[in-house]
Formats: sequence, C-alpha cells, structure tokens
Amino acid sequence: MAASSRKKKPATRKSRSESNGSASSNDAAPRKAAKRRSTAQAMAASQKEISVSEFFAKNRHLLGFDNPRKALLTTVKEAVDNSLDACEEAGILPEIWVHIEQTGAGRYKVGIQDNGPGILKKQIPLIFGKLLYGSKFHRLRQSRGQQGIGISAAGMYGVQTTGKPVKIISKVSPRKPAHYYEIQIDTKKNQPKILNGRGDGVDIPPGEKGASVIEKHGIEWVDQPHGTRVTIELEAKFVRGRGSVDEYLQQTAIANPHVTLHYLDPEDYEYDYARSAEVLPHEPKEIKPHPYGVEVGRLAQMIEESDSMTMGEFFRTKFSRITPAIGRKLCGAAKITVRTNVRKLNRSHADNIYQAIQTIKISPPATDCICPIGEDLILKGLHQVVPGEFYAAATRPPGVYRGNPFQIEVGLAYGGSAPTQNVTMELLLELLEETDTRTVRQFLIHTFNGLGGDGADKIVKVAGLKTRQNPTALKPKDREKLFNAMKDVNVAEGQQMEVMRYANRVPLQFQQAACAITQTVLGTNWRGYGLSQSRGAMPKGPVSIMVHIASVWVPFTSESKEAIASYPEIQKEIRLGLQAVGRKLGMYLRRRMKVKQQSDRREVFMRYLKEVSGAVSVINGAKQDELYDKLLRVARKVTSEADVKLDDRGRPIEEDPTEMDLGENVLIVDPSAHEAAINRVEMVEEDEE
Amino acid sequence: MAKKSPARKTPAKAPVKLSPRDKKTMASLTGLADGVVKAANARRDPFVDIPSRTLSNVRYSARKRIIEMGTGKNRRQLFDLSQAKSYMRTMLVASGCKRLLDEGKTTSLRGLFYMLKHTIEKTKENTFDDQNECDTIIEDVEVLINSIREELHLYAENRGAMVGNITIVDRGDTIDCSRMGSGGYAIPSIVEPEVIELNRKKCDANFILHVEKGTVWQRFNEDRFWETHNCILTHGAGQPPRGVRRLLHRMHNELKLPVYCVLDNDPWGYYIYSVLKQGSINLAFESQRMAIPEAKYLGLRSIDFDRCDLSDSVKIALSDSDKKRANQIAKYPWFEKKRPWQSEIQRMLKNDFKLEVESLISKDISYVTEVYVPERLEEQDWLD
Repeated sequence: MAASSRKKKPATRKSRSESNGSASSNDAAPRKAAKRRSTAQAMAASQKEISVSEFFAKNRHLLGFDNPRKALLTTVKEAVDNSLDACEEAGILPEIWVHIEQTGAGRYKVGIQDNGPGILKKQIPLIFGKLLYGSKFHRLRQSRGQQGIGISAAGMYGVQTTGKPVKIISKVSPRKPAHYYEIQIDTKKNQPKILNGRGDGVDIPPGEKGASVIEKHGIEWVDQPHGTRVTIELEAKFVRGRGSVDEYLQQTAIANPHVTLHYLDPEDYEYDYARSAEVLPHEPKEIKPHPYGVEVGRLAQMIEESDSMTMGEFFRTKFSRITPAIGRKLCGAAKITVRTNVRKLNRSHADNIYQAIQTIKISPPATDCICPIGEDLILKGLHQVVPGEFYAAATRPPGVYRGNPFQIEVGLAYGGSAPTQNVTMELLLELLEETDTRTVRQFLIHTFNGLGGDGADKIVKVAGLKTRQNPTALKPKDREKLFNAMKDVNVAEGQQMEVMRYANRVPLQFQQAACAITQTVLGTNWRGYGLSQSRGAMPKGPVSIMVHIASVWVPFTSESKEAIASYPEIQKEIRLGLQAVGRKLGMYLRRRMKVKQQSDRREVFMRYLKEVSGAVSVINGAKQDELYDKLLRVARKVTSEADVKLDDRGRPIEEDPTEMDLGENVLIVDPSAHEAAINRVEMVEEDEE
Repeated sequence: MAKKSPARKTPAKAPVKLSPRDKKTMASLTGLADGVVKAANARRDPFVDIPSRTLSNVRYSARKRIIEMGTGKNRRQLFDLSQAKSYMRTMLVASGCKRLLDEGKTTSLRGLFYMLKHTIEKTKENTFDDQNECDTIIEDVEVLINSIREELHLYAENRGAMVGNITIVDRGDTIDCSRMGSGGYAIPSIVEPEVIELNRKKCDANFILHVEKGTVWQRFNEDRFWETHNCILTHGAGQPPRGVRRLLHRMHNELKLPVYCVLDNDPWGYYIYSVLKQGSINLAFESQRMAIPEAKYLGLRSIDFDRCDLSDSVKIALSDSDKKRANQIAKYPWFEKKRPWQSEIQRMLKNDFKLEVESLISKDISYVTEVYVPERLEEQDWLD
C-alpha cells in the first residue's frame, strides 16, 4: 500500500478515493460508489493537540497502572523512589513511613512520608500535579527516577478512580510553616488544580499552633523538622507475595541499607526495617555522554543546539573521554578540521563524524559516576532482611556497554533450616500467646518470614489441625502437634532460588523471564556449587540471590522499567558476579556437608552400639554397659573429626568462620538466633492498650 | 529386649541339656561375641568376615559335579556407615539363636524375625522392617559360624509334598506315603536323620519323580502314577526349599533311587534343575548335603512343541528378562560344556516362547502321566 501510494504521488491530489478505488479495484467492488465521508476541512476541525496527561490517562498501563494490584504497588514505588532520591541528593539519611489503609471495597489510601529536604511552596503543585515535570530527565547521572512522570501519574490515577484529591504536606525547616495542598490534575491542560485554601493551599504554622491545625484538618503527619508526605486515595487491591508492596519494601530495604522504613499495612501489621548503615552512599557524579553511546540523531541534535565554538572545543566540552589527540583523529577521519566552527556543520557532517567515532578507539568512560551499594552493605542489608546462615557478596569492577558505564553487584543468602524448625517449644507458646491472627495458617505465615502459604499448609496438614483453627485457643495437645509438625516438615523441600533484581537500587518485580538477570541466573551452572538444578530451571534450595545493576542509563527492555535488556557485556558481568558468590557458597556447603557427614556417621554408630552390646552380652554374658562404653570410645576415635567441631563451640555442627578460608565478603551466622526470621507482634498489642 | 534376657536366662539354663551338636554351635556363637569384646578392649573396630555368597565366590567342582563355595569373604565392620546396620543385625540374629539353643526350642524364620524386631532406643528405626532382611542375615550367620539352619534351631515353613511307595518314620510316627490321600505328605523343613528315618527295607519304589509345582503333582497323584510306575512323587512348589532338596538327596543316596525331574520349559525350570543337581549359588555351602549330580531332566524340552504336536495357544512369549536369564544360565560353568543343554537353551531362544508342563493338557488331560513321562522313561530320553 505504501509503495503504491508513493508511485502515484503526482496524481493523488485530484482525488484520494479514486486512486484508492483503482488500486484495489478487484477486491472492493462495492466501494466504487462510496461517498466522501469527510473533507479535509471537516477533519481539521477535530485535529488538535493531545495533552500528555490525557494521553497517559488513557494509556495508564504504560506507567504501570494496568490493574488495581499493580496500581497500588506503582504508587508506593514512585513515592518511595522520589523520597529516596530527594533525601540522598540533600545528604539526609532517609527515613520513610508507608501507610496503606483500606477505605472501602477496592479502595485504599496510601500515605508516604519522608524526612527529606521538603519542597518549596510554589513547586509542590507542579511536582505532584503536572506530568513530565522533574529534575532528573536532562542529566546523565545515576538516580532512581528518570522521567518525572511517576508520582503525578499516581495522583492522576487516584483522582480518576476515586475522585479524591492528592494531599501533600511539606515542610522545609522546623521554623518555617509547612504547606498543605489538596491537588487535582487537570488532564486537559496538564496543569495542577489546587482545591484547598481558595486555590492557594493552607500554611501550617510551626510549633504548637501547627499541631492543632493538623489535628483539626485530620491531616496525617509524623512530626519531623522537615520532609514531605503525600497521600493518595486510589482504586487498588492489596495482595501479598510476589509483586506485592511487602515484597517491594523488603527488597528496597535490602538494597538500601542506609534507609529506615516503617510500613503499616492494611491489616495493621507494622514492619520496621531499621537501617544497618549510618552512611549515605557517595553522591553519584553527573557525566557527559561517551561518544560510543551517542546515536547519529542525537549527535546531529547536539551539533544543532551547540553554541558557536570550534570542533576541538565541542568534542572537549560535550563529551567525555575525547582528548585533543583523539579529537584531531576524529576530525581527520570525518574530513573536517579541528578549527571548523560547529555551527557550519550540516547533517552529512554529523553522519561522517558518527562513522568516524565507530572506527576510532576511544578509552572507556570514567566509572566513578556510578555508586555501587558495596559488598559490605549488601551483606548487612541481606542479613537484616533475609533469614539465613550464610551470606556472600561480590561487586564486580565497572564495565561499559554502548559507551555507558555500569556495574554489577551480586549478593547471596543461604538459609539452611527454616525458622519454623529453630523455634523452641517455649518460644512457640509465647508466640501463640501474643499473636492476633485468626487462623493457625495465618499465624504461621505472619510469624515466620519466608515460610509462605504452601509451607504453612504443609505444616497444618501434618499437624492434623483444622484449617480454620484459632491459634490462641489451641489445646495443649494440639500445640504439641503443631510444634512437632513444625520440626518435621521440611519447608525448604522444593523451594526454588529466589532472584531479586535491582536497577539503581530499585527492585524490579515484573517480567522476570524477560530480564537479563533471570536469564543469566538460569544459564549459570549451580550444580558445581552444591545446589541441585534441573536443566534450564532455577536451582533448588533455600537460596536468595540479589543482583544489582548500577548505571547512569539502565537499559530497560521497555518503558515500564521492569526488565533489563540482554547486552552481552552486562550478561557477562552478571555471570562473573554469580560465579564469585557461587564459589563461596560451594565451599561453605561442601565444608558443612563434610562435618555433617561425620556427625551423621557417629549418630548412626551410636544408634547401633547399644543393640550390639546388648546382643553380645546375651551370647557370652559380657557386661553390657562396660562393653557399650568401650565401643563408644572406639566410635569417638573413628569419628574424631566431628568431635573436634563439637568441642570447639559446644554445638553439634558449627563452623569456625576463621578456619574456613572463604575470602572476604562472607557472613556466616547462627540461623536460630536470626532476628529477621520471626515476627513478633508486640507493636500491635501496645497500640491497642 | 537386651535387658530382659539376663533375668530370663538363669531359670531357663539349668534344665536344658545341650546336644553335642548344640554345644558346637554354641561355641561358635560365643566365639563370635568374644571377638567383639576383644576388639572393644583393644579399641579396635570390631568386624566379622562372612564368606561371600555370590556367583564370583562359587566354584563348580567338575570332579564332584557340585557347586562349592570359594574362600572369598566379605568383611562386615561395625564402624562403617554402610555396614553398621547389618553388623548390628548379624549380632542380633546370633543372640536370638543363642536364646533358642539355651531354651532348647526351635522357631520358624518368621518367629525369629518377630523375636528380634523392635524399635531401636531413642529412634524411629526398627531393627528389621521386613522378614527378608532377617532371612538373609540368618544365611549370613549360617556361613559365618559354619552351622546350618537346623543347628541354629530354625526352620522354614513346610513346603512341597511327597507320595509314593515308601514308609518313613517322622519324629517316631510311622508314615506310609502310599496312603496319603490327595494331599500327600507335607515335607518338613528339617529332614535330618533325627527327625526323619529312612529305611531301605521299607521302600519299594524304583525311582523318584520330582515335578515343579503342586498342580502338576496333583495330576500325577490323581492318576496314581506312583502306583502304576512304582515310584515316589515329590514337588517343591517352585524353587524347592531346603527341606525338599535335603530329603531328595537323602533318598537318592541312602535308598539309591534315581531322580527324574519334570519341570517347565523356561529359564526358571532350567534353574530349578540346576539347583537340584549342582546346588544353588546362594547356599553353595550346603551343596554337599543337598546336590544330586545324577538327577536327570526329563522335560519339558523345547522340542516338545513340535514333538508332541501342541497347539499354538499354549505358547507363552519370552520376556526380555527371560532371555537375559537364559543366556546367563547358558554361561554357567556346569552348563557351558554340555552340548545338549546348549542346544536345548538355544532352541528355546529360537522358539521365542516357553512352555509350562500344564500345556500338555491341551492334548489330553492325562497325556503327561499316560504318554509323555512313560515314553521318556521308556526311551531313556532325558538331559543330564
């Protein structure tokens, strides 16, 4: 069709419908008599500019508001990301409050507050009520957000689905008044509409007076010297598990160990992720584009927009890594001189320069613009949040893809036995006492991190309890059954490796299969590291892997920022990182296996020694106890290796980390004493009193 | 259990008088236990060396024409992960036999299994879960202390039957085997001279006909084959148990009666014949007492399908495992050099089907008793 219309160009002006008719005469006989439906003039009347906000209001799936479940997550995510970016930029250790509250069927109110620098009064409406308004779009620097769409889109979604305005309260300093706004986005004009204070917002004076105003208006605000709180009410669905707010916040806490998170979910459970690092990550530097990463169109645009200067100057000031020598080479290859003024260049020159760049070797970009989390902090973050006994981390040296520097970091947590198996009877009784869950299943899921619904179901089934039994009203006999079931059920059975993906410290939760990280994890052979893995599947076992890619420009596969594109350079670095932590895990597991075998061995012998000595004494009347003791001594001698382990620490199987030479960046802990493994519910009880 | 036994031992010990045979067994058992004490005192790993009961450790003696056990031994150690449990079981079986000897009683294999089966202290593990586990250990103990089952006061279930022109004495009761009705005399598991007395003068039979299973034996008995041909008729309910084999051996040697076998034409039938004739691999240590090298294989032969003109419907297809087994049997040293046997087995493989003795019924109900067997005996047509 396109080809035919081009050919007929000279004739088209006369009558479009005619040419159309002749082009497809054989298949559209009835159309011959078709009337002109519209004229150019008539059509022009309905041709008008589309506002960005209108476009996104209709295409909200592009921004991650496809369904109520995802809408909730995206809202929280955008707000938290913005808060973190703001705090870090201002050099403040972030503390964030997330509160989700159900207000009706399928309606939730989401409030997110930070202790950031606050926002100036006149900027508040623009930031929260105008799409594509932001500070991060025009620079090449590692940050979480990029476009300036997120939070205002969330607000827009909220207004559209519930009609409730976005409420913002922001405070810059303890001495100055805080500003309170209720905003709606005008989708037609892409302009904020302020609803309260006759279109000017409300000022809340500092100190005592302010507190009473806050109370009077029913504004939610955790008192802070400075910070911002945004409250959005939206149509949403609250879920747990994969792709949930819980998971997002947990993963955020892992990758951002300098953040303190308070999270109150709709069922009134409070989660607190305390920061494990008191230092902010160093500030990422803004860099100029590297020539290899610039496409020809962008280059032409840069030339066009440039002020009057020589080519040499242009190269030096607008790009990174072009030394005068390389600049000369480039000019030579593009058949221009170094002194040529940029303004005199045209499109074909740009093309030549682009070709020249591809042929000349330019040193890779500086990588100090990236700020990785660091092995130390990854270990701390993982340990804080993921229950386990073994942790390892690896930060790869920076690499470059298409002229963009990037860096890969990998963390691994291995949890031997599930928290349910480490609980003592006394602790279980206590936990049962203090829980406020309604069923045993719920109790198990909420109390023991990482157990999940399936594990809980298994335990309830083995314990032979009814599904809807109340945990506080269990009879002593049933409690015992539950306890035994918890010990017996191997929850880790059939458990798969959990992969947490991060780009610039933001967890990626969707499109797992399309992501370069998942693909690389699948493509790595884990069998050599002591995990079992079927062909082309995730390895099995209680393992969590986190992979973080930090870059000034993360190559996402799509606008929704959910999966990372598979550049070979990136995949290679990921693989090397995975192998680094895998090797350490392998060493740990092999060592553990050996000690375990020894102690298993002894256990087997011990079991039979009594029988053997009993049988012998029946036959020849030897003293049974005496013989038993003697055989026991032989058993000790035979299994002496396990004995050494016993004596050192007084526990049956205990590793001495110093003895195991696993290199740096490994953390080995006693899983039974892990704080993150068990959720206590004291907080809620205090609230009620 | 271990705790109970000393209390029970004292009153039980005094009244029982040990026979010289029991004394020998007892000495062997005590020697076994002493070994453990000695090793423990020397702080060494206790072990037992059990003669190995595998094909690799049996030797076919061409002179005696029986299978004999070699000298190969398997060491069973207490402090070896894979052997600890079987070591413990070996000791348990030995202690169980000692108690039987002490009390002068005998028990069945299953009885001993129940005697020893209990849960190991502080575990959920049983000493034995299954009678088979116990039975193999008993065989181990037999070879270990060089005493047969009877000497350990153990017996198996009665299996196999006998009928014919012979009168025997079983534990003092005279039994006329020609007057056994349709059921026959059930051959006990222990047929040693102390239990069963044979007397040449009380035997009129000229030969022994051993058939594979009860159903065929039933046919012969109903047709009074033993009467018309003046013989003894036995069956072993498949693979003949030790009692049947021992009795055949005794009758063959003490009464000088030739033994003829009528078995199925399949690898299993060949193997039954092989066991009767040369002894089994598993119980090679008993060949001396059980094997009958002069036993003859009367049928069924793989040529019988054509020779007897049987109909296609009686064929049973050979399975893959049958073929494998047949090839294995063909390679046994005691078959390897016998050309008739090689051609017999090859013929069966070529036929690609097997025949049961019952297939002859398709000719006539009593074809096997009236035509088949008499013809073979007449023509002296058998495999050796």
